[in-house]
Amino acid sequence: MKVKYFANLRDITGTKEEDWAKPEATVGDLIRDLVARYGHEFERWVMKDGDLWSLVIILVNGHDVRQLKRFATVLAPSDVVVIFPPMGGG
Amino acid sequence: MHGWIGKIVRVDLTSGKITTEALDPVMARDYIGARGLGTKIMTDEVDPKVDPLSPQNKLIFVPGPLTGTYAPSGGRYNVVTKGALTGAIAAASSGGTWGAECKFAGYDALIFEGKAPNPVYLWIKDQAIELRDARHIWGKNILDTSDAIRAETDDDAKIACIGKAGENLVLFAAIMNDLHRAAGRSGVGAVMGSKNLKAVAVVGTNGVTTADNAAFEKIVLLARDKIQKHPVGGTGLRLYGTDVLTNILNQVGGYPIKNGQDGYFATADKLGGETLAKTLLKRPKACFSCIISCGRVTKVINKQFAGEGEGPEYESSWGFGGDCLIDNLDAVTKANYICNENGMDTITMAATIACAMELYELGLITKAETGGIAIEWGNAEVMVELTRLTAMGEGFGKKLAMGSYRLAESYGRADLSMSVKKQEIPAYDSRAIQGIGLNFATANCGAAHVRGYTIAPEVLGTPMKVDKDAVDGKPALVILFQNLTAALDSTGGCLFTTFGIGAPEYAGMLSALTGVEYTQESFLNCGDRIWTMERQFNLAAGLTAADDVLPPRLLKEPLKTGASKGSVSRVPEMLPVYYDLRGWDANGVPTPAKLEALGLSR
Repeated sequence: MKVKYFANLRDITGTKEEDWAKPEATVGDLIRDLVARYGHEFERWVMKDGDLWSLVIILVNGHDVRQLKRFATVLAPSDVVVIFPPMGGG
Repeated sequence: MHGWIGKIVRVDLTSGKITTEALDPVMARDYIGARGLGTKIMTDEVDPKVDPLSPQNKLIFVPGPLTGTYAPSGGRYNVVTKGALTGAIAAASSGGTWGAECKFAGYDALIFEGKAPNPVYLWIKDQAIELRDARHIWGKNILDTSDAIRAETDDDAKIACIGKAGENLVLFAAIMNDLHRAAGRSGVGAVMGSKNLKAVAVVGTNGVTTADNAAFEKIVLLARDKIQKHPVGGTGLRLYGTDVLTNILNQVGGYPIKNGQDGYFATADKLGGETLAKTLLKRPKACFSCIISCGRVTKVINKQFAGEGEGPEYESSWGFGGDCLIDNLDAVTKANYICNENGMDTITMAATIACAMELYELGLITKAETGGIAIEWGNAEVMVELTRLTAMGEGFGKKLAMGSYRLAESYGRADLSMSVKKQEIPAYDSRAIQGIGLNFATANCGAAHVRGYTIAPEVLGTPMKVDKDAVDGKPALVILFQNLTAALDSTGGCLFTTFGIGAPEYAGMLSALTGVEYTQESFLNCGDRIWTMERQFNLAAGLTAADDVLPPRLLKEPLKTGASKGSVSRVPEMLPVYYDLRGWDANGVPTPAKLEALGLSR
């Protein structure tokens, strides 16, 4: 699947997007894998108290995982996952 | 009084008479300041049916009690009047340093009435207040006006002024202060121009007193700490500005493009805050007492669109960008500069150009009218030129100066104006995000995101995440955000502080500052009172429930692409619930019981 990064996650990962694959994966599997790969700086913008930070926007094909099953949201190989750290404006 | 100075200036521009009067403490308590106090004065003193551009309209500059204190982002003021664009109550908010300086000079409000026989500006240095001839400044842009007035008053003068757009009565002219900050929406600058008032220059050397210094310091430090620890208020806005929203809104399918024809733009990333930060951004900038620093000091080197200034914010980037099908950030920023330099609202300017592009595509606007300009989608050069023509009052710009509603109406297609109450809808698609559509439909000043920013819970997830596609619970959510915003605007604080603090902190800061006890409940009740009073003004002006509607496109044409494909706005389902929860009847008229409860019975 395709994983897209925005805001400072682009600096932390060094890329705007990359491919990621794992059979029968969930959003939790993806995030844990990215934390392992990109370390504490990634983790502190995405995780809080061992769980997905409530202000982080993760969209699977445009749908917010906070409206789905959060970390338990199941991913398919054709999915596009976008990740925004806590950001806002108005 | 503490927090409030206790003094109002009244300037009769017709006669040149200037008087000061005391601020009524009960009025101050119930309406707080800024937007609330200005609306109360308008309600008491102005016939809502007046022509906005007539001498009978009044123009009120109002800081709030927190303005000029060290409360976080406590530097804002409002310009309250009957809007030239909308014919509705207008309260345009601006940051910078002007509001604080007005308080330091010793005033809670400046009321301008009548019309000066010749262009003038007001010069205030503490107790000394005088009207000065501005004929030699008339016609100058914001920078040259500010320079000229400083040269003949004081190097430290803080200046709020209009540019050519306000002078030419462009219906969406803004009032600019500190060069780049705008009381932007609803045409407050046109009202200023109609009064022959070019500028208000202020130097103040006093301060704002506090009822309980220790308590105020304690809660301000707590509030600042909460904002700094919030990832948006403390870090995100400084890094990327508000334009970071571009990709967020686009990815959820709520980024309007082509005059609202769809909700996703494939190349939106070229316009986003991430791109801005890596290309045009020189440094972030903060307003008075601000710890957030969302302002963008930028420079465009590209010769075609070269310039320096501030911006763009998200709404400006979207309007000149995606809404016109343009992904050239240099051009977008140039158009923003032209608006700032000449005093125009970027949202209405941009959305009016997008509307013109659609009218041109349909063959309703022709080259014969435009002076040979092909107003085609995606043409960045044309977009910038149309902005310039409007600012200068030249050619087809004279027609664009009416805003999109009157433009589209003149071709028999008012339905193609993406506006509510004749004010253009900002950068959030009501089909993709249900609550914000209800806010746009019901905002008393016409469509505005800064009246009830439900994007925070519906998209960003702060202070909690709610389903953007749901309609259940949205009327109550919208009302809560609208009331909170009305009260917050009235303090002189900044909406962006809500990325960290809310009603409890504002009630606490106001109480310690003023010595008047505010609770979270009474603070929100003030917001309800202000909102309802604005509604009453509009109803008396002739607006009705028929004005609480979105353009038919948003109700009938489903989004074609993006994550919200297939959606339409469900405002018609939500509106009756909204009226009922507000304590209004089925026609959107506040009931006697509601008015009584808010202390608004006459």
